Amino acid sequence: MKTNSILYILVFAAAGIFSSCKKNYLDIVPTDRIPEVSLLADSALFEQFVVNRYMGVRLQEKEAEGTPPGFGRGFEYGLWSSLTDESIYNNDDNTWVVQRGQLAPENTGIAGTIWGRSYRSIRECNYALTHIDSVQMSDGKRTTLRAELRFIRAYRYHDLIRNYGGVVLMGEKVLNLEDNLTDESLFNRSSIKESLDYAVAELDAAAKDLPLANADKTWDLGRATKGAALALKARLLLYAASPLYNAGTWANAAAAAKAVMDLNVYSLAPDYAKLFLTPSSSEIIFERLYAIGARHVCLEISNAPNGYGGWAGNTPLQNLVDSYEMNNGKVITDATSGYNAQTPYTNRDARFYATILYNGAPYRGDTIDIYTPGGKDSKDGPSNWNSTKTGYYLRKFMDDSNPIDNPWNVAGLQPWIYIRYAEVLLNYAEAQNEAVGPDATVYTAINQIRQRSSVNQPALPAGLTQAQMRDAIRRERQVELAFEEHRFYDVRRWKIANVTENVPAYGVDVTKSGTTTTYTRKVALSGRAFADKHYWLPIPRSEILSSNGKLSQNAGY
Amino acid sequence: MIIPPFLNDLPPLPLCSGSLNCIHSTNKFLVMKENRPLSGQYRSFLSFFLFFLVLSVSAWAQQRASISGKVSSAGELVPGVTVRVKHGTQGATTDVNGQFTLQAAIGDTLVFNHISYISREVPVTGNDRLEISLAPNTQNVGEVVVVGYGTQKKATLTGSISTLKGAEIVKSPQPNVSNSLAGRFSGLIANNRSGEPGYDGSTLLIRGLATTGNNDVLVVVDGVPGQIGGLQRIDPNDIESMTILKDASAAVYGSRAANGVILITTKRGKTGKPSISYSFNQGFTSPTRLPKMADAPTYAAIRNEIQYYNNPSGGMNQVYTADQIQKFRDGSDPLNYPNTDWQKAALKNTALQHQHSLSVSGGSDNVRYFLSLGIIGQDGLYKHGVTKYNQYNFRSNIDADVTKRLKVGLSLSGRQEDRIFPQTGASDIFRGIYRAYPTVAAYYPNGLPTTGIENNNPVMQVQDIGGTNRNPTQVFNGILKGSYAIPGIEGLSLDGFLSVDKSWTFGKSFASPYVLYNYDPSANIYKQVVVGGSAGLATLNETQQNQEMRVSNIKLNFTRQFGKHHVDAFIAYEQSKIVMDSLSAFRMNFPSTQTPELSQGGPAAADKNNAGKSYIFTRKSYIGRLAYNYEEKYLLEAQARIDGSSTFAPGNQYGFFPSVSAGWRISKEDWFQPVSFIDDLKLRASYGTLGNDNVGLFQYFNNYSFNSQYVLGSGSTIRPGVDITKLANPNITWETAKKMDIGINALFLKHFSLEFIYFQQKRSNILTQRNASIPQSSGIVNPYGSDALVPAENIGKVNSNGIETSLGYSNTTASGIGYRIGGNFTYAKSKIIFIDEAPGTLAHQRQTGRPLNTYLLYDAIGIFRTQDDLNKYPHLTTNQLGDLIYRDYNGDGQITADDQVRSKYGNIPEITYGITLGVDYKGFDLSAVFAGQTHVSQYVLPESGTIGNYYSSWADNRWSPTNIAGTYPRVDERASSSINGGLYQNNFWLNNASFFRMKNLELGYTVNADILSRIRIAGLRVYASAFNLFTITPVKDYDPEGTNGTGLYSTSGQFYPQQRIINVGVNVKF
Repeated sequence: MKTNSILYILVFAAAGIFSSCKKNYLDIVPTDRIPEVSLLADSALFEQFVVNRYMGVRLQEKEAEGTPPGFGRGFEYGLWSSLTDESIYNNDDNTWVVQRGQLAPENTGIAGTIWGRSYRSIRECNYALTHIDSVQMSDGKRTTLRAELRFIRAYRYHDLIRNYGGVVLMGEKVLNLEDNLTDESLFNRSSIKESLDYAVAELDAAAKDLPLANADKTWDLGRATKGAALALKARLLLYAASPLYNAGTWANAAAAAKAVMDLNVYSLAPDYAKLFLTPSSSEIIFERLYAIGARHVCLEISNAPNGYGGWAGNTPLQNLVDSYEMNNGKVITDATSGYNAQTPYTNRDARFYATILYNGAPYRGDTIDIYTPGGKDSKDGPSNWNSTKTGYYLRKFMDDSNPIDNPWNVAGLQPWIYIRYAEVLLNYAEAQNEAVGPDATVYTAINQIRQRSSVNQPALPAGLTQAQMRDAIRRERQVELAFEEHRFYDVRRWKIANVTENVPAYGVDVTKSGTTTTYTRKVALSGRAFADKHYWLPIPRSEILSSNGKLSQNAGY
Repeated sequence: MIIPPFLNDLPPLPLCSGSLNCIHSTNKFLVMKENRPLSGQYRSFLSFFLFFLVLSVSAWAQQRASISGKVSSAGELVPGVTVRVKHGTQGATTDVNGQFTLQAAIGDTLVFNHISYISREVPVTGNDRLEISLAPNTQNVGEVVVVGYGTQKKATLTGSISTLKGAEIVKSPQPNVSNSLAGRFSGLIANNRSGEPGYDGSTLLIRGLATTGNNDVLVVVDGVPGQIGGLQRIDPNDIESMTILKDASAAVYGSRAANGVILITTKRGKTGKPSISYSFNQGFTSPTRLPKMADAPTYAAIRNEIQYYNNPSGGMNQVYTADQIQKFRDGSDPLNYPNTDWQKAALKNTALQHQHSLSVSGGSDNVRYFLSLGIIGQDGLYKHGVTKYNQYNFRSNIDADVTKRLKVGLSLSGRQEDRIFPQTGASDIFRGIYRAYPTVAAYYPNGLPTTGIENNNPVMQVQDIGGTNRNPTQVFNGILKGSYAIPGIEGLSLDGFLSVDKSWTFGKSFASPYVLYNYDPSANIYKQVVVGGSAGLATLNETQQNQEMRVSNIKLNFTRQFGKHHVDAFIAYEQSKIVMDSLSAFRMNFPSTQTPELSQGGPAAADKNNAGKSYIFTRKSYIGRLAYNYEEKYLLEAQARIDGSSTFAPGNQYGFFPSVSAGWRISKEDWFQPVSFIDDLKLRASYGTLGNDNVGLFQYFNNYSFNSQYVLGSGSTIRPGVDITKLANPNITWETAKKMDIGINALFLKHFSLEFIYFQQKRSNILTQRNASIPQSSGIVNPYGSDALVPAENIGKVNSNGIETSLGYSNTTASGIGYRIGGNFTYAKSKIIFIDEAPGTLAHQRQTGRPLNTYLLYDAIGIFRTQDDLNKYPHLTTNQLGDLIYRDYNGDGQITADDQVRSKYGNIPEITYGITLGVDYKGFDLSAVFAGQTHVSQYVLPESGTIGNYYSSWADNRWSPTNIAGTYPRVDERASSSINGGLYQNNFWLNNASFFRMKNLELGYTVNADILSRIRIAGLRVYASAFNLFTITPVKDYDPEGTNGTGLYSTSGQFYPQQRIINVGVNVKF
């Protein structure tokens, strides 16, 4: 080969190698993400962005072990109930910090994520609301989506208000990195009243344009309806009228609840226990659905007794157990109730059996044995570190068709019910009783709940005073809505938390000798404490620091 | 020998006619004097001189006898040693077997020279065969080192560059090359974080942390930057040399060079008859250390104490009676009261690993080859475990001189990496081993496996009973190079390469159900518990990820000597493209565990799932260098690179990275000659700008992604929801490092070498995410555990500086004992100038002004032992006796977050040092490497409580009502949410992670060649070696080189332990 020809080959080869060397060599179009132009150019994509706003971002370890969190806390290993007198979480996991009154801006335990998650969602809703007009779609669709976004945003404010009180109202702002993030407007907390008024007004606006009911294909189950907006408004107005908030009237709260009842869309489900296992129910007003591939934590293994291979997560307290009436409608402290402390679980309100597993309860073809010595679900059973400290296990939400062992990829499909009709009735009863006293509509509302076919408690006796009715409604709320993230907020808005949350976390020791079983009340977790500052959550310390002190902390922290 | 000058600038070695010739090419300055077009006068003189030379040689030859012999070093025969008669003209070069023959007379002195060895002078005392042993000289000034886009004489280097020979790396053979580097040179921090086969590499940092962004070092293999497959799995037997660019000399790699560059050059063939080399070693591995855990009676007592603290009125025996504890202690009832050492139950004392390596090299004048095959096998530590790593690799490096001017080289290498693991990952297995209660048996006395802890029984999890997770990976690297010496202009040449890298990573994870047993004492039955798989049926997850990188490079070189002036320059263009494609598929509800294939899974739509993704990114670079020296005395170098990257938006895609360096070899000055004890002295300095572009792609626009998790409809179907995953930073561009080095290199008293470097580095435009300063009320909130919403922004600033020094000594005694000793020391300290912090951060808690990676912790100053202590110190409302006392830093009488203080050090050492030793005598050779670090802290809070067992150090020394002198705090439900642990993270759990450890020790013996030659073996060496033989450290419970663990329980020290390896092996040459 001649040198020259070799040179030509070389040059030729080099030209071949660099033939791809065009001027756009560095301009790569990504294939694994969606650019903003596509999102705003395609109404289907835009709607999918809206749909995901029902979910929020994960902000903590052990949060959203399954799918991303929604509003509130929902199904997690440690339930929100374990921050109250309903249950304690067996393995702490940053719940005892609340139970023991150690809650501090730097130690928010599992209660530290609502602030950030809500504001992120609010910004995203604002983004969608700001851009929805530029997306091509029918006006009807646009109106509905806009209403849906405003509902979601209002729900986020509801989450913020009931935990922190007056909050920073962001309006329609969509902040970006180039914006001044030290601006005062990011740190000015509105009053509770202003905050509530804003959220309520938004819900009114949303209710106007939201569909009345869910329907497959057009407005799927899981999306907000007019009823959801009105029911959330009723809840907020109930809070507003409550002593802690003192920012509204009971009459307004009653009227708001009445408006939901008057929709004539909802009714109580007959079976109290099954209500929490099935997503389609006339009672459910707003819920979060789950599916294989998008499941929440496996409730059965995380809460079942050690004798069944479970981890005894959220264990009910005696404090809650004691609030269940006898099935004759009398409270256990009533000498005529027939309550016997040594046979404490006979003849109780049917909801007790649907909510709590107790010594002797039938469960999965067997019997719960919490007694010592030797009970399989006691510390003498297998894996004794997974036995209850309170003497009870959680029954509510548990689906017996799920396996306890090895439930991965299978369990975790129960719907999380954000709002159901029973709450609306309770809201109405409470507001109406406070506004005008125990009139017939109050009795009707409360007795509907008591006389759900599977519950069948006697109707409340006639002639209760307003105060007696108040007590009855509060107890009814406590048992009916147990573990549904109400108790924490109820005892606060009623301003009774300084009593109820300062009562020790009681459990029961069950000992068996021969055929005699003895029940002895005990303290399940020492050091339970509540101070006045705990009526509101502390705003996370990091938030105060990033505002350079401009954001005012809740009192006492 | 005439070497085309362009060779000097070729990418590492490949086109040289064998590495020895390459080395000689560095003497080209002298050679070229003869070869350059010269003036007529000079030419005549030269002819005359040569004529005279030839005459005289032939005249003297008649008076001399033929002397022959062989040259070896550390048992290896050394080819290419020049042997000459002192003050004479006779000379020879040793052949591939180290043999030489030349004419010399008795009384002459023979001088043996080789750039890699210390010269020796040996008198000729008779006609006997000579056996010469040379001591290696890693500091030799004549040595040629591989630098970015070329080679350079070590003597004329102006940058801070360390080199390591392949021969050093194969000492104490490591399956993972990254583990062979610690302690060997200054400036490199190599921390081995885990010993799991397949994932046992060291993290490499050059001069410590210098950025809050990515600190990864760029690895360049045979000239290919960022070659797929990386450094760790290259067969150490294939490595010719390794070069580390620590300063601005790396600027030639521009946008990827800021964290330093490691250049690896593989072996090439040498002209000569084929040389076959085979080596084998057998290793025995065991953990360097495992924490000693509490036994059953101790743990039972702890459980009682925890329950006592939860409910003091219940007394001290709420969980176990004294009688029951006694049963744990005496072992009288192993069914109900076992006492389990989970480490013993799950782990073997020793695991095996082995390596085979076979290579053939040689060549004719025009074609040279190096071919190798390697096999590595590593077993896991688990009893009956499935964990294994097997590697099969080949390499074929072929060079051909097509014409005198045109040379081509083809390098092909391939590797199969077979990893197999049990279904449960190593960190979960070790989490299980450290958590599992000693009060629970691994197996019941009848042999049935127990449910362990939460249905995780580590002794079963390590086995294949729950299915396996196979990860075979194939890597292919191909490089085609060519060079052409352009006629017409002397010193001008063109070269280039085209490389194609591919990797294919397959994953097959089949999880099958199996049975554990739970004994119910009340019914006296063993209840079956099905674990593994999903809901009692098997699942399968298969993944495939393919990656490809193509790099093409073309380069024009000019190298020429003009009198005393030497010029060496190149300009080059390079572009690269990386493409990744992946897919995965999942099936569940397998009818049978016998059919672990995708098509055999459950038939329902919900039983199936799949996913896939891809990305592309491209780079485009213009590179140039100009090196000039005057008589090798004054050295000057300038280089620059313009890098373009698709990672950034048009307009911000290009960065410019220039550097300059200069050197002054004082010892070459005439006036310096009287200083006879200094053999070589060089002052040098470098300054330049380097870049770091190691951030996620496409952060310059808002990124939205599908996150299909919201469920809608009465049929409960998942919707393809869309989330925003990354906010836009349209201005994103390079991170910039400005590096300055000032160094002295000296050789003195014949045997000493010294290097001292002061370096400083200023990082700016550090690509990092804002978080702390952004109020969450803005709605810009980063998620936990996944990629931040906030894009990287060019906001950080970190300065770092330090010193590096190394001192070496090597000598050979008259009696033939060769020995060498070296020490190195690095001090690298970072200082944060700007990091994103909340505006309200308290001064004593700010990171700004402090080193990188420090911890913010409460200062634990003691334990509340008495009520008096509680009265005396500010404390938390819930504090009780046995709790840690936290210092009230701000003196406000309360313990709040304001009282946290920053630790002095992070978990990257500020000081690292190493010592290397070597001795050889009469066929024996001994070498050792020690490595150490200090000014380093590690936070480890074990996952203890009712959630898991305790380290003995805590259990045995815990405060309790009966041990108020305890040195550890009281036990609690969960350390992670304890007032003494995770709830108030404090420096009680911060350990001084300094250590001094023997990294490497090797003793070898080379069998006398005369005996072997009869059986046609050219060389035979046997050796025994050890890795991580012993460690001196203040850390009590875990290996101080480890991390604090990964994942969910990230501070709990649950990682696969580092390995101590004892090797025996043999090298044979034919």
